[in-house]
Amino acid sequence: MKLVVAGKGGSGKTSISGTLARLLARSGRRVLAIDADSNPNLSLTLGIPADRFNSVPTLPRDLLQRTPDGARLSKSLDEIRSSHSLDGPDGVSLLVMAHPQHAGTG
Amino acid sequence: MHATVRSVIEVSGEGPADVTILDTEASPEHLSRGTAMHADAMLVVVEPYFKSLETGRRMAALGTDLGLPRVALVANKMRDERDEAAVREFAEQHGLEVAGTIPFDEAMPAAERAGVSPLDHDPGAPSVAAIGELARSFVR
Repeated sequence: MKLVVAGKGGSGKTSISGTLARLLARSGRRVLAIDADSNPNLSLTLGIPADRFNSVPTLPRDLLQRTPDGARLSKSLDEIRSSHSLDGPDGVSLLVMAHPQHAGTG
Repeated sequence: MHATVRSVIEVSGEGPADVTILDTEASPEHLSRGTAMHADAMLVVVEPYFKSLETGRRMAALGTDLGLPRVALVANKMRDERDEAAVREFAEQHGLEVAGTIPFDEAMPAAERAGVSPLDHDPGAPSVAAIGELARSFVR
């Protein structure tokens, strides 16, 4: 299942996303959490310390290749997971789309 | 970046045990760029006051316009029966599902202040229990 969690800043969206991810992982799901916020702080609510979060490589722009049939990823999801995700508590994988200093470029 | 997120979501979450959770920018502009278009469901977190509900309604409408099979509200920071009634009434008025209700809980801001996850801060907190209930009822 692919779930989007949206909400206004301050609504508690990220606390809910992170807690949901951890609890689902505890119940046996393989959880991929994606932080696509321009002010990313999902890592914190997942329980990943800030220093580890700051070292995670964000997804490179050339990951997406334009082909005549449309855009497609140049790597498999497993490759993306192993090169760009952080492993958090309970086995949650976190992908971060952009660090704050890069916000607004994509 | 939106296109990359969109493609990652498209190829993820396919196995029966796989769950992908996208924590996304609150802005309708972001949603309208189709970042979420390959999702199976959208949860819109709202608080029990009109401005928040109204913003949530607009986000939910964008999710529906994207063609998402299931779009629902999650009512957060709920203090009492009046809050419950306000959210329920608003949702009924606009034909929206309320997938879950999470009580106002000092444990949430306390976890944030402490710089730890809510689950590690207080696993027995009522808000954490309510999110667990949401996980069981909503995520298939």
